[in-house]
Amino acid sequence: MSKSVLRAEKISFSYDGITPTLKDVSFDLHEGESLGVLGPNGGGKTTLMKIVVGLLSPQSGSIFFDEQKADKRHYPYHSFSYVPQHSELNSILPVKVSEYMGFAKAIYKNITEKEMDELLELVGILHKKESLISSLSGGEKQRVLLARALVNHPKLLLLDEPTKGLDSSGQDQLLSIIEKIKQRDKTAVMIVDHNINQIIRHCHKILCLNRNFHWHDHTDLLTKNILEDVYHCEFEHLLIHEKDLQSSHSHDHHFCDHDHAHQGTSNEPHSFLRRKK
Amino acid sequence: MMIFFQSLKDFLQYDFLLYALLGTLALSMTCGLISPLIIARKNAFMGSAISHSTLLGLAIALSLFSAEQSLSIFATTLAITIVCTLFLATSTFRQKLPSDSMIGIFYTATMALGIIIHSLFAKNKTDLLSFLFGNILLLTKEDLLLSAGLLIVTAPLIIIPFKKWLFLTYDEEGAITSGIKARLYHYLFFILLALLIVTSIKLAGTILIETLLLVPGFFALKFSTNVRQAFIVSVIFSTVFAVLGILIANAYGLPSGATLAVVLFLALVLSLFLKKIYTFLRS
Repeated sequence: MSKSVLRAEKISFSYDGITPTLKDVSFDLHEGESLGVLGPNGGGKTTLMKIVVGLLSPQSGSIFFDEQKADKRHYPYHSFSYVPQHSELNSILPVKVSEYMGFAKAIYKNITEKEMDELLELVGILHKKESLISSLSGGEKQRVLLARALVNHPKLLLLDEPTKGLDSSGQDQLLSIIEKIKQRDKTAVMIVDHNINQIIRHCHKILCLNRNFHWHDHTDLLTKNILEDVYHCEFEHLLIHEKDLQSSHSHDHHFCDHDHAHQGTSNEPHSFLRRKK
Repeated sequence: MMIFFQSLKDFLQYDFLLYALLGTLALSMTCGLISPLIIARKNAFMGSAISHSTLLGLAIALSLFSAEQSLSIFATTLAITIVCTLFLATSTFRQKLPSDSMIGIFYTATMALGIIIHSLFAKNKTDLLSFLFGNILLLTKEDLLLSAGLLIVTAPLIIIPFKKWLFLTYDEEGAITSGIKARLYHYLFFILLALLIVTSIKLAGTILIETLLLVPGFFALKFSTNVRQAFIVSVIFSTVFAVLGILIANAYGLPSGATLAVVLFLALVLSLFLKKIYTFLRS
Protein backbone atom coordinates (compact mmCIF):
# COMPACT_ATOMS: atom_id res chain seq x y z
CA MET A 1 0.00 0.00 0.00
CA SER A 2 1.25 3.49 -0.85
CA LYS A 3 2.34 5.64 2.04
CA SER A 4 0.24 8.33 3.66
CA VAL A 5 1.21 11.84 2.60
CA LEU A 6 -1.45 13.63 4.63
CA ARG A 7 -3.34 12.56 7.71
CA ALA A 8 -5.69 14.58 9.89
CA GLU A 9 -6.48 13.24 13.31
CA LYS A 10 -9.56 14.40 15.24
CA ILE A 11 -9.38 18.03 14.12
CA SER A 12 -11.70 20.37 16.03
CA PHE A 13 -12.00 24.09 15.48
CA SER A 14 -14.21 26.96 16.54
CA TYR A 15 -13.91 30.63 15.53
CA ASP A 16 -15.60 31.96 18.65
CA GLY A 17 -14.59 29.21 21.06
CA ILE A 18 -18.23 28.18 21.55
CA THR A 19 -19.81 27.06 18.27
CA PRO A 20 -17.77 24.28 16.67
CA THR A 21 -17.01 24.73 12.99
CA LEU A 22 -15.21 21.39 12.87
CA LYS A 23 -15.48 18.59 15.39
CA ASP A 24 -13.24 15.52 15.46
CA VAL A 25 -12.64 15.41 11.71
CA SER A 26 -10.20 12.72 10.59
CA PHE A 27 -9.07 11.56 7.18
CA ASP A 28 -6.00 10.39 5.38
CA LEU A 29 -4.64 10.68 1.89
CA HIS A 30 -2.10 8.45 0.17
CA GLU A 31 0.35 9.01 -2.66
CA GLY A 32 -1.49 9.51 -5.97
CA GLU A 33 -4.93 9.64 -4.30
CA SER A 34 -7.39 12.48 -4.40
CA LEU A 35 -9.72 13.67 -1.68
CA GLY A 36 -12.69 15.89 -2.44
CA VAL A 37 -14.20 17.92 0.38
CA LEU A 38 -17.86 18.78 -0.10
CA GLY A 39 -20.43 20.56 1.98
CA PRO A 40 -22.67 23.60 2.15
CA ASN A 41 -21.46 27.14 2.83
CA GLY A 42 -20.33 27.46 6.44
CA GLY A 43 -19.87 23.71 6.72
CA GLY A 44 -16.17 24.07 7.52
CA LYS A 45 -14.57 23.07 4.20
CA THR A 46 -12.34 26.11 3.77
CA THR A 47 -11.62 26.16 7.51
CA LEU A 48 -10.37 22.58 7.27
CA MET A 49 -8.21 23.49 4.26
CA LYS A 50 -6.73 26.48 6.12
CA ILE A 51 -5.92 24.26 9.09
CA VAL A 52 -4.20 21.72 6.83
CA VAL A 53 -2.04 24.39 5.17
CA GLY A 54 -1.16 26.00 8.51
CA LEU A 55 -3.09 29.27 8.10
CA LEU A 56 -5.28 28.38 11.09
CA SER A 57 -4.42 26.33 14.18
CA PRO A 58 -6.90 23.69 15.34
CA GLN A 59 -8.22 23.77 18.90
CA SER A 60 -7.42 20.07 19.13
CA GLY A 61 -6.18 17.33 16.85
CA SER A 62 -3.10 16.96 14.69
CA ILE A 63 -2.00 17.07 11.07
CA PHE A 64 0.65 14.68 9.79
CA PHE A 65 2.64 15.09 6.57
CA ASP A 66 4.51 11.93 5.50
CA GLU A 67 3.64 10.51 8.96
CA GLN A 68 5.48 13.41 10.64
CA LYS A 69 3.38 15.50 12.98
CA ALA A 70 3.21 19.12 11.78
CA ASP A 71 4.82 21.42 14.29
CA LYS A 72 2.95 24.71 14.64
CA ARG A 73 6.18 26.72 15.04
CA HIS A 74 8.01 25.18 12.10
CA TYR A 75 5.16 24.27 9.82
CA PRO A 76 6.37 21.95 7.03
CA TYR A 77 5.34 24.22 4.14
CA HIS A 78 7.79 22.36 1.87
CA SER A 79 5.58 19.23 2.14
CA PHE A 80 2.78 20.62 0.00
CA SER A 81 1.66 23.34 -2.39
CA TYR A 82 -1.47 25.32 -1.80
CA VAL A 83 -3.61 26.94 -4.48
CA PRO A 84 -5.83 29.62 -2.91
CA GLN A 85 -8.94 31.01 -4.57
CA HIS A 86 -8.09 33.43 -7.39
CA SER A 87 -10.44 35.97 -5.80
CA GLU A 88 -7.89 36.28 -2.96
CA LEU A 89 -5.35 37.90 -5.30
CA ASN A 90 -4.66 41.57 -4.70
CA SER A 91 -5.99 43.33 -7.79
CA ILE A 92 -4.26 46.64 -6.97
CA LEU A 93 -0.79 45.49 -8.11
CA PRO A 94 -0.35 45.21 -11.91
CA VAL A 95 1.31 41.78 -11.87
CA LYS A 96 2.10 39.92 -15.10
CA VAL A 97 1.95 36.12 -15.33
CA SER A 98 5.74 35.98 -15.74
CA GLU A 99 6.23 38.26 -12.71
CA TYR A 100 3.94 36.11 -10.56
CA MET A 101 5.83 32.97 -11.56
CA GLY A 102 9.02 34.87 -10.73
CA PHE A 103 7.81 35.42 -7.14
CA ALA A 104 8.36 31.69 -6.60
CA LYS A 105 12.02 32.29 -7.47
CA ALA A 106 12.31 34.17 -4.17
CA ILE A 107 11.83 30.81 -2.45
CA TYR A 108 12.92 28.19 -4.96
CA LYS A 109 16.05 29.81 -6.28
CA ASN A 110 17.09 26.89 -8.53
CA ILE A 111 14.03 27.05 -10.76
CA THR A 112 14.96 28.08 -14.28
CA GLU A 113 13.06 30.22 -16.79
CA LYS A 114 12.67 27.13 -18.99
CA GLU A 115 11.08 25.11 -16.17
CA MET A 116 8.65 27.93 -15.49
CA ASP A 117 7.71 28.06 -19.16
CA GLU A 118 7.15 24.29 -19.11
CA LEU A 119 4.76 24.67 -16.20
CA LEU A 120 2.86 27.44 -17.97
CA GLU A 121 2.74 25.20 -21.05
CA LEU A 122 1.43 22.31 -18.92
CA VAL A 123 -1.50 24.39 -17.69
CA GLY A 124 -2.02 25.85 -21.19
CA ILE A 125 -1.27 29.48 -20.37
CA LEU A 126 2.20 30.03 -21.87
CA HIS A 127 0.78 32.30 -24.59
CA LYS A 128 -0.44 34.69 -21.85
CA LYS A 129 2.95 34.88 -20.14
CA GLU A 130 3.32 38.64 -20.62
CA SER A 131 -0.31 39.47 -19.84
CA LEU A 132 -1.47 41.12 -16.65
CA ILE A 133 -3.15 38.56 -14.39
CA SER A 134 -5.99 41.01 -13.78
CA SER A 135 -6.83 40.86 -17.51
CA LEU A 136 -7.24 37.06 -17.52
CA SER A 137 -10.49 35.13 -17.15
CA GLY A 138 -11.27 33.27 -13.91
CA GLY A 139 -10.21 29.94 -15.40
CA GLU A 140 -6.93 31.37 -16.71
CA LYS A 141 -6.16 32.95 -13.33
CA GLN A 142 -6.77 29.62 -11.66
CA ARG A 143 -4.38 27.91 -14.08
CA VAL A 144 -1.70 30.53 -13.34
CA LEU A 145 -2.12 29.87 -9.61
CA LEU A 146 -1.82 26.16 -10.30
CA ALA A 147 1.36 26.63 -12.35
CA ARG A 148 2.95 28.64 -9.54
CA ALA A 149 2.01 25.94 -7.04
CA LEU A 150 3.74 23.30 -9.17
CA VAL A 151 7.10 25.07 -9.13
CA ASN A 152 8.44 22.93 -6.25
CA HIS A 153 7.12 19.63 -7.73
CA PRO A 154 4.85 18.96 -4.73
CA LYS A 155 3.90 15.48 -3.53
CA LEU A 156 0.69 16.98 -2.21
CA LEU A 157 -1.44 19.62 -3.91
CA LEU A 158 -4.17 21.41 -1.96
CA LEU A 159 -6.77 23.41 -3.88
CA ASP A 160 -9.39 25.71 -2.36
CA GLU A 161 -12.49 25.91 -4.58
CA PRO A 162 -10.54 25.78 -7.86
CA THR A 163 -13.69 25.71 -10.01
CA LYS A 164 -15.34 28.67 -8.32
CA GLY A 165 -16.69 31.09 -10.91
CA LEU A 166 -15.75 28.88 -13.88
CA ASP A 167 -18.18 27.68 -16.53
CA SER A 168 -18.48 23.93 -17.10
CA SER A 169 -15.87 23.86 -19.86
CA GLY A 170 -13.45 25.83 -17.65
CA GLN A 171 -14.09 23.39 -14.82
CA ASP A 172 -13.48 20.41 -17.10
CA GLN A 173 -10.24 21.90 -18.43
CA LEU A 174 -8.88 22.68 -14.97
CA LEU A 175 -9.80 19.32 -13.47
CA SER A 176 -8.33 17.51 -16.47
CA ILE A 177 -5.04 19.35 -15.93
CA ILE A 178 -5.09 18.35 -12.25
CA GLU A 179 -5.86 14.77 -13.27
CA LYS A 180 -2.89 14.85 -15.68
CA ILE A 181 -0.54 16.12 -12.95
CA LYS A 182 -1.89 13.51 -10.52
CA GLN A 183 -1.21 10.67 -12.92
CA ARG A 184 2.13 11.96 -14.17
CA ASP A 185 3.76 12.76 -10.81
CA LYS A 186 1.66 10.55 -8.47
CA THR A 187 0.72 13.77 -6.70
CA ALA A 188 -1.84 13.44 -3.93
CA VAL A 189 -4.58 16.04 -4.31
CA MET A 190 -7.04 17.51 -1.82
CA ILE A 191 -9.80 19.66 -3.34
CA VAL A 192 -12.37 21.73 -1.51
CA ASP A 193 -15.22 22.52 -3.87
CA HIS A 194 -18.93 23.11 -4.31
CA ASN A 195 -19.22 21.20 -7.54
CA ILE A 196 -20.51 17.83 -6.34
CA ASN A 197 -20.58 16.05 -9.70
CA GLN A 198 -17.07 17.14 -10.70
CA ILE A 199 -15.66 16.14 -7.32
CA ILE A 200 -17.36 12.74 -7.40
CA ARG A 201 -16.06 12.18 -10.92
CA HIS A 202 -12.46 13.17 -10.18
CA CYS A 203 -11.77 12.11 -6.58
CA HIS A 204 -11.09 8.72 -5.03
CA LYS A 205 -12.22 9.75 -1.59
CA ILE A 206 -14.93 12.11 -0.42
CA LEU A 207 -15.24 14.01 2.82
CA CYS A 208 -18.67 15.55 3.33
CA LEU A 209 -18.67 18.28 5.93
CA ASN A 210 -21.43 20.13 7.66
CA ARG A 211 -20.09 21.17 11.04
CA ASN A 212 -20.90 18.22 13.36
CA PHE A 213 -21.96 16.04 10.48
CA HIS A 214 -19.21 14.46 8.45
CA TRP A 215 -18.73 11.46 6.29
CA HIS A 216 -15.49 10.29 4.84
CA ASP A 217 -14.90 7.33 2.63
CA HIS A 218 -14.41 6.05 -0.84
CA THR A 219 -16.45 7.75 -3.57
CA ASP A 220 -18.24 4.51 -4.44
CA LEU A 221 -19.76 4.38 -0.97
CA LEU A 222 -21.30 7.83 -1.20
CA THR A 223 -25.07 7.79 -1.49
CA LYS A 224 -27.57 10.44 -2.47
CA ASN A 225 -29.00 10.19 1.06
CA ILE A 226 -25.69 11.12 2.63
CA LEU A 227 -25.35 14.17 0.43
CA GLU A 228 -28.92 15.24 1.08
CA ASP A 229 -28.27 14.94 4.80
CA VAL A 230 -25.09 17.01 4.54
CA TYR A 231 -26.72 19.74 2.47
CA HIS A 232 -30.18 19.52 4.08
CA CYS A 233 -31.82 19.49 0.67
CA GLU A 234 -32.78 17.10 -2.10
CA PHE A 235 -30.75 16.62 -5.26
CA GLU A 236 -32.06 15.70 -8.68
CA HIS A 237 -29.01 15.33 -10.91
CA LEU A 238 -26.25 13.60 -9.05
CA LEU A 239 -23.83 11.32 -10.82
CA ILE A 240 -23.40 8.97 -7.89
CA HIS A 241 -22.18 5.52 -8.67
CA GLU A 242 -24.55 3.40 -6.58
CA LYS A 243 -23.82 -0.08 -7.88
CA ASP A 244 -23.56 -2.81 -5.27
CA LEU A 245 -24.92 -0.54 -2.60
CA GLN A 246 -28.17 -2.48 -2.56
CA SER A 247 -26.45 -5.68 -1.59
CA SER A 248 -23.85 -4.43 0.84
CA HIS A 249 -25.10 -1.21 2.38
CA SER A 250 -28.14 0.31 3.94
CA HIS A 251 -29.65 3.31 2.21
CA ASP A 252 -30.51 4.88 5.51
CA HIS A 253 -29.38 8.35 6.34
CA HIS A 254 -26.07 8.57 7.97
CA PHE A 255 -26.01 10.80 11.00
CA CYS A 256 -23.19 11.13 13.42
CA ASP A 257 -21.43 13.59 15.62
CA HIS A 258 -18.12 11.80 15.27
CA ASP A 259 -15.96 10.66 12.39
CA HIS A 260 -15.94 7.00 11.63
CA ALA A 261 -14.01 6.97 8.43
CA HIS A 262 -12.66 3.60 7.42
CA GLN A 263 -15.16 1.68 9.53
CA GLY A 264 -16.46 0.38 6.24
CA THR A 265 -14.14 -1.25 3.72
CA SER A 266 -14.74 -2.90 0.43
CA ASN A 267 -14.77 -6.29 2.17
CA GLU A 268 -17.19 -5.56 4.95
CA PRO A 269 -20.44 -3.64 4.93
CA HIS A 270 -20.19 0.01 5.89
CA SER A 271 -21.85 0.42 9.27
CA PHE A 272 -24.29 3.25 8.67
CA LEU A 273 -26.01 4.56 11.73
CA ARG A 274 -29.71 5.20 11.68
CA ARG A 275 -31.02 8.72 11.84
CA LYS A 276 -31.74 9.78 15.39
CA LYS A 277 -35.43 10.31 15.99
CA MET B 1 9.90 82.00 -13.39
CA MET B 2 12.68 84.32 -12.21
CA ILE B 3 11.62 83.93 -8.61
CA PHE B 4 11.73 80.17 -9.05
CA PHE B 5 15.33 80.26 -10.32
CA GLN B 6 16.24 82.64 -7.50
CA SER B 7 14.82 80.03 -5.09
CA LEU B 8 16.98 77.33 -6.68
CA LYS B 9 20.01 79.62 -6.31
CA ASP B 10 19.15 80.12 -2.61
CA PHE B 11 19.18 76.37 -2.05
CA LEU B 12 22.69 76.13 -3.46
CA GLN B 13 23.91 79.24 -1.67
CA TYR B 14 22.75 78.68 1.93
CA ASP B 15 23.82 75.59 3.87
CA PHE B 16 20.55 75.12 5.75
CA LEU B 17 18.58 75.22 2.49
CA LEU B 18 20.99 72.79 0.85
CA TYR B 19 20.43 70.40 3.77
CA ALA B 20 16.71 70.82 3.23
CA LEU B 21 17.04 70.08 -0.49
CA LEU B 22 19.22 67.00 0.01
CA GLY B 23 17.06 65.82 2.93
CA THR B 24 13.95 66.20 0.77
CA LEU B 25 15.63 64.21 -2.00
CA ALA B 26 16.49 61.34 0.34
CA LEU B 27 13.10 61.29 2.09
CA SER B 28 11.09 61.57 -1.10
CA MET B 29 13.04 58.71 -2.66
CA THR B 30 12.34 56.53 0.40
CA CYS B 31 8.67 57.53 0.40
CA GLY B 32 8.47 56.77 -3.34
CA LEU B 33 9.93 53.33 -2.77
CA ILE B 34 7.54 52.36 0.01
CA SER B 35 4.44 54.17 -1.29
CA PRO B 36 3.17 51.50 -3.78
CA LEU B 37 3.44 48.91 -1.01
CA ILE B 38 1.36 51.10 1.34
CA ILE B 39 -1.36 51.46 -1.30
CA ALA B 40 -1.30 47.83 -2.45
CA ARG B 41 -1.26 46.45 1.10
CA LYS B 42 -4.22 48.74 1.91
CA ASN B 43 -2.27 50.34 4.76
CA ALA B 44 -3.05 54.00 3.98
CA PHE B 45 -5.04 54.36 7.17
CA MET B 46 -2.33 52.59 9.15
CA GLY B 47 0.21 55.14 7.86
CA SER B 48 -2.13 57.89 8.99
CA ALA B 49 -2.44 56.29 12.44
CA ILE B 50 1.34 56.04 12.83
CA SER B 51 1.86 59.64 11.73
CA HIS B 52 -0.79 60.87 14.16
CA SER B 53 0.58 58.77 17.00
CA THR B 54 3.94 60.56 16.57
CA LEU B 55 2.16 63.43 18.26
CA LEU B 56 2.23 61.51 21.53
CA GLY B 57 5.97 60.92 21.12
CA LEU B 58 6.55 64.54 20.17
CA ALA B 59 4.54 65.83 23.14
CA ILE B 60 6.57 63.69 25.55
CA ALA B 61 9.84 64.67 23.81
CA LEU B 62 8.98 68.40 23.92
CA SER B 63 8.19 68.03 27.60
CA LEU B 64 11.65 66.58 28.25
CA PHE B 65 13.80 68.57 25.81
CA SER B 66 13.81 71.97 24.10
CA ALA B 67 13.08 72.14 20.33
CA GLU B 68 16.79 72.77 19.56
CA GLN B 69 17.84 69.36 20.95
CA SER B 70 16.84 67.74 17.67
CA LEU B 71 18.54 64.36 18.12
CA SER B 72 17.03 63.83 21.60
CA ILE B 73 13.61 64.79 20.27
CA PHE B 74 14.05 62.47 17.30
CA ALA B 75 15.14 59.52 19.47
CA THR B 76 12.34 59.97 22.02
CA THR B 77 9.66 60.45 19.36
CA LEU B 78 10.94 57.46 17.43
CA ALA B 79 11.02 55.17 20.48
CA ILE B 80 7.46 56.06 21.51
CA THR B 81 6.16 55.87 17.92
CA ILE B 82 7.73 52.43 17.44
CA VAL B 83 6.04 51.17 20.65
CA CYS B 84 2.68 52.48 19.35
CA THR B 85 3.38 50.98 15.89
CA LEU B 86 4.24 47.56 17.33
CA PHE B 87 0.99 47.60 19.28
CA LEU B 88 -0.94 48.48 16.12
CA ALA B 89 0.95 45.89 14.06
CA THR B 90 0.22 43.16 16.61
CA SER B 91 -3.46 43.96 16.83
CA THR B 92 -3.93 44.08 13.05
CA PHE B 93 -2.00 41.01 11.82
CA ARG B 94 -4.44 38.70 10.00
CA GLN B 95 -7.34 39.65 12.25
CA LYS B 96 -10.97 38.81 11.51
CA LEU B 97 -12.26 42.17 12.77
CA PRO B 98 -11.66 45.02 10.31
CA SER B 99 -8.31 46.53 11.25
CA ASP B 100 -9.43 50.08 10.38
CA SER B 101 -11.71 50.20 13.43
CA MET B 102 -8.79 49.34 15.74
CA ILE B 103 -6.56 51.87 13.98
CA GLY B 104 -9.22 54.59 14.21
CA ILE B 105 -9.70 54.02 17.93
CA PHE B 106 -5.97 53.93 18.57
CA TYR B 107 -4.84 56.99 16.69
CA THR B 108 -7.44 59.35 18.08
CA ALA B 109 -6.58 58.13 21.59
CA THR B 110 -2.81 58.62 21.17
CA MET B 111 -3.32 62.01 19.55
CA ALA B 112 -5.61 63.14 22.37
CA LEU B 113 -3.12 61.93 24.97
CA GLY B 114 -0.34 63.79 23.12
CA ILE B 115 -2.29 67.07 23.20
CA ILE B 116 -3.02 66.71 26.92
CA ILE B 117 0.63 65.92 27.73
CA HIS B 118 1.76 68.86 25.58
CA SER B 119 -0.61 71.32 27.23
CA LEU B 120 0.41 70.16 30.71
CA PHE B 121 4.17 69.69 30.43
CA ALA B 122 5.60 71.28 27.24
CA LYS B 123 8.58 73.58 27.75
CA ASN B 124 7.44 75.83 24.87
CA LYS B 125 3.84 75.46 23.79
CA THR B 126 4.31 76.93 20.29
CA ASP B 127 6.88 74.32 19.13
CA LEU B 128 4.28 71.68 18.33
CA LEU B 129 2.83 73.65 15.41
CA SER B 130 6.05 73.37 13.38
CA PHE B 131 6.01 69.62 13.85
CA LEU B 132 2.36 69.33 12.86
CA PHE B 133 2.74 71.01 9.48
CA GLY B 134 6.48 70.84 8.81
CA ASN B 135 9.08 73.59 8.49
CA ILE B 136 12.12 73.12 6.29
CA LEU B 137 13.90 75.89 8.11
CA LEU B 138 14.10 73.50 11.08
CA LEU B 139 16.13 70.95 9.08
CA THR B 140 19.69 70.61 10.35
CA LYS B 141 22.78 68.73 9.20
CA GLU B 142 21.81 65.93 11.63
CA ASP B 143 18.40 65.71 9.97
CA LEU B 144 20.07 65.39 6.59
CA LEU B 145 22.27 62.57 7.88
CA LEU B 146 19.22 60.86 9.39
CA SER B 147 17.33 61.13 6.10
CA ALA B 148 20.26 59.73 4.13
CA GLY B 149 20.76 56.97 6.72
CA LEU B 150 17.09 56.05 6.48
CA LEU B 151 17.34 55.74 2.69
CA ILE B 152 20.46 53.58 3.05
CA VAL B 153 18.66 51.28 5.52
CA THR B 154 15.27 51.17 3.82
CA ALA B 155 16.30 50.71 0.19
CA PRO B 156 18.06 47.32 0.67
CA LEU B 157 15.29 46.10 2.99
CA ILE B 158 12.76 46.72 0.20
CA ILE B 159 14.90 45.93 -2.85
CA ILE B 160 16.73 42.74 -1.76
CA PRO B 161 13.60 40.78 -0.76
CA PHE B 162 11.57 42.67 -3.41
CA LYS B 163 9.89 39.51 -4.76
CA LYS B 164 8.93 38.39 -1.27
CA TRP B 165 7.28 41.76 -0.59
CA LEU B 166 5.39 41.47 -3.86
CA PHE B 167 4.40 37.84 -3.30
CA LEU B 168 3.08 38.65 0.20
CA THR B 169 1.21 41.68 -1.09
CA TYR B 170 -0.23 40.01 -4.18
CA ASP B 171 -1.06 36.53 -2.88
CA GLU B 172 -0.66 36.53 0.89
CA GLU B 173 -1.91 33.00 1.52
CA GLY B 174 0.13 31.59 -1.35
CA ALA B 175 3.22 33.35 0.01
CA ILE B 176 2.71 32.20 3.61
CA THR B 177 2.17 28.60 2.55
CA SER B 178 5.32 28.82 0.42
CA GLY B 179 7.23 29.51 3.62
CA ILE B 180 7.57 33.32 3.59
CA LYS B 181 7.48 34.64 7.14
CA ALA B 182 4.51 37.00 6.82
CA ARG B 183 4.61 38.12 10.45
CA LEU B 184 8.26 39.18 10.17
CA TYR B 185 7.54 41.22 7.03
CA HIS B 186 4.41 42.70 8.62
CA TYR B 187 6.42 44.05 11.57
CA LEU B 188 9.35 45.10 9.39
CA PHE B 189 7.04 47.09 7.13
CA PHE B 190 5.49 49.03 9.99
CA ILE B 191 8.82 49.70 11.70
CA LEU B 192 10.16 51.11 8.40
CA LEU B 193 7.01 53.19 8.10
CA ALA B 194 7.42 54.54 11.64
CA LEU B 195 11.10 55.39 10.96
CA LEU B 196 10.18 57.16 7.74
CA ILE B 197 7.36 59.15 9.31
CA VAL B 198 9.40 60.28 12.33
CA THR B 199 12.32 61.28 10.09
CA SER B 200 10.01 63.26 7.80
CA ILE B 201 8.25 65.23 10.53
CA LYS B 202 10.32 68.39 10.07
CA LEU B 203 9.94 68.31 6.30
CA ALA B 204 6.23 67.68 5.96
CA GLY B 205 4.81 67.54 9.50
CA THR B 206 2.93 64.72 11.21
CA ILE B 207 -0.31 65.58 9.44
CA LEU B 208 0.92 66.26 5.91
CA ILE B 209 3.49 63.44 5.61
CA GLU B 210 0.63 61.21 4.45
CA THR B 211 0.71 63.00 1.09
CA LEU B 212 4.27 61.89 0.45
CA LEU B 213 3.40 58.37 1.53
CA LEU B 214 0.27 57.97 -0.56
CA VAL B 215 0.27 60.17 -3.68
CA PRO B 216 3.38 58.70 -5.46
CA GLY B 217 2.18 55.11 -5.04
CA PHE B 218 -1.36 56.00 -6.08
CA PHE B 219 -0.08 57.77 -9.19
CA ALA B 220 2.31 54.92 -10.07
CA LEU B 221 -0.27 52.16 -9.63
CA LYS B 222 -2.75 54.14 -11.71
CA PHE B 223 -0.39 54.60 -14.65
CA SER B 224 2.02 51.65 -14.64
CA THR B 225 1.68 48.58 -16.80
CA ASN B 226 3.76 46.26 -14.65
CA VAL B 227 4.80 46.03 -11.06
CA ARG B 228 8.49 46.91 -11.43
CA GLN B 229 7.61 49.99 -13.46
CA ALA B 230 5.18 51.03 -10.70
CA PHE B 231 7.99 51.29 -8.15
CA ILE B 232 10.30 53.20 -10.52
CA VAL B 233 7.53 55.64 -11.49
CA SER B 234 6.63 56.15 -7.83
CA VAL B 235 10.22 57.05 -6.86
CA ILE B 236 10.59 59.47 -9.81
CA PHE B 237 7.21 61.13 -9.19
CA SER B 238 7.87 61.49 -5.48
CA THR B 239 11.36 62.95 -5.94
CA VAL B 240 10.49 65.39 -8.75
CA PHE B 241 7.37 66.86 -7.13
CA ALA B 242 8.75 66.94 -3.58
CA VAL B 243 11.77 68.93 -4.76
CA LEU B 244 9.50 71.18 -6.84
CA GLY B 245 7.32 71.62 -3.75
CA ILE B 246 10.10 72.87 -1.50
CA LEU B 247 11.45 75.13 -4.26
CA ILE B 248 8.02 76.76 -4.57
CA ALA B 249 7.64 76.91 -0.78
CA ASN B 250 10.94 78.78 -0.47
CA ALA B 251 10.25 81.05 -3.48
CA TYR B 252 6.93 82.27 -2.10
CA GLY B 253 7.64 81.90 1.63
CA LEU B 254 5.00 79.21 2.04
CA PRO B 255 4.93 76.44 4.68
CA SER B 256 6.92 73.48 3.27
CA GLY B 257 4.57 70.66 4.34
CA ALA B 258 1.46 72.31 2.97
CA THR B 259 3.17 73.29 -0.30
CA LEU B 260 4.49 69.76 -0.80
CA ALA B 261 1.03 68.32 -0.20
CA VAL B 262 -0.62 70.72 -2.65
CA VAL B 263 2.04 70.25 -5.38
CA LEU B 264 1.82 66.45 -5.21
CA PHE B 265 -1.96 66.57 -5.19
CA LEU B 266 -2.13 68.95 -8.16
CA ALA B 267 0.33 66.79 -10.12
CA LEU B 268 -1.87 63.77 -9.47
CA VAL B 269 -5.11 65.51 -10.41
CA LEU B 270 -3.57 66.99 -13.56
CA SER B 271 -2.25 63.58 -14.66
CA LEU B 272 -5.62 61.93 -14.08
CA PHE B 273 -7.29 64.71 -16.06
CA LEU B 274 -4.80 64.38 -18.93
CA LYS B 275 -5.28 60.61 -18.95
CA LYS B 276 -9.04 61.10 -19.23
CA ILE B 277 -8.57 63.45 -22.19
CA TYR B 278 -6.11 61.03 -23.84
CA THR B 279 -8.53 58.11 -23.39
CA PHE B 280 -11.38 60.23 -24.74
CA LEU B 281 -9.38 61.29 -27.81
CA ARG B 282 -8.33 57.72 -28.57
CA SER B 283 -11.84 56.29 -28.27
